[in-house]
Amino acid sequence: MTIPMYLGVFAVLVVGTILTYVVATMDLDWIFPGANTLVALLIAFTKMTCVMLFFMHVYWSPKLIWLSVIASFFWLAIMFAFTMQDYFTRGSGVFTT
Amino acid sequence: MSAHASDKFVYHEPGLQHQFEDMRQQEESVSIGMWMFLAQEIMFFGGLFTAYLVLRSRYPMAFAAGSNHLDAFLGGLNTLVLIVSSLTMALTVYYAQRSNRNMQVILIVLTMIFGGVFLGVKAIEYTDKYNHGLVPVTGLNKKVKEGAKAEHSGLTLPIETRANAAEAPGAAHAYVNPKGEFQWVEYDLIEKTFEQQKSDPDGNHLTASELIGYTSNGQIDHDKFRDKVRIFYWIYFVMTGLHALHMVIGLGLMAWLLWTAWKGYYSMEYYMPVEMSGLYWHFVDIVWIFLFPLLYLLGRHFGH
Repeated sequence: MTIPMYLGVFAVLVVGTILTYVVATMDLDWIFPGANTLVALLIAFTKMTCVMLFFMHVYWSPKLIWLSVIASFFWLAIMFAFTMQDYFTRGSGVFTT
Repeated sequence: MSAHASDKFVYHEPGLQHQFEDMRQQEESVSIGMWMFLAQEIMFFGGLFTAYLVLRSRYPMAFAAGSNHLDAFLGGLNTLVLIVSSLTMALTVYYAQRSNRNMQVILIVLTMIFGGVFLGVKAIEYTDKYNHGLVPVTGLNKKVKEGAKAEHSGLTLPIETRANAAEAPGAAHAYVNPKGEFQWVEYDLIEKTFEQQKSDPDGNHLTASELIGYTSNGQIDHDKFRDKVRIFYWIYFVMTGLHALHMVIGLGLMAWLLWTAWKGYYSMEYYMPVEMSGLYWHFVDIVWIFLFPLLYLLGRHFGH
């Protein structure tokens, strides 16, 4: 990593922050309900990936580190998925009583 | 100097601890230990994100209403402050790898300053919540007796009087709160959405949980809606509070790094403590990258 590369990652993060702020003020529900949340999360994931790969040097790390990083997000996904498959299937669903 | 000494001579790198074979093995072991710690931190915050996910999927309008009352400008400013501190931290590691003591010290001090600014802005936001009765614990809000002059006595900060006293939708309501209870006065958006749901029963304007959780006898029940907004503020205070605690621990780490870097401990041969503290600092930054849109921006587009 050279200093211009660090500054480049930094620029991406600043642009992402401003973008997420601007997009949040627009109503994207005409695409589909909840599109705002999806866009905000996509930007957040992009920013996270930049920080992890370059600021945290995962990109140049041994495979064992890659495995730990991916595994920890996999466990997190299991926690979300198993919790939500319970909550979303209680009663007759999210919208109808 | 016997002839046998040369048989036993092994080159020993200055930063190598004796239990490791070589620097590569040492660095990999240190990294894997730190990443295991970060993996459990991810699960630790993940539990709170799960609570957020469950409660927001049940009461989206109450969460949007609560979120709209947070100051998105200060939240965004804090995001930028943390990103700058992440850059200075990454550059600290860069200079540690090049044995540059002076730049390390300067950049650690800058990282600490930005971390301090973050906590300062957070304190301003918490004070604002205290002044407006938005702390979800009874008794921890500003207490104003009936008939007292309600205009911003007590803790007032210059940034907060301008932004909120005039513009907040609840400004017309006098702040009277003798017991320091949770206050909520904005019901326009939920009343409007409830009318839409009634005129268009198949329209999915409110979730099943909301239709039960906000209403009594076919009307929006202000007490029940306020309790759901209060849940949002619980989530807000627990998540940002825990994040702020991590920032304080991070500042402690930085203070220790500053001391050791000042004494010139770190060099090209041995810089792993700087790198590992950096991993922790970047992790805390990543948590905020998710907290900012999820807490501050989620209901902005309803724009009431």
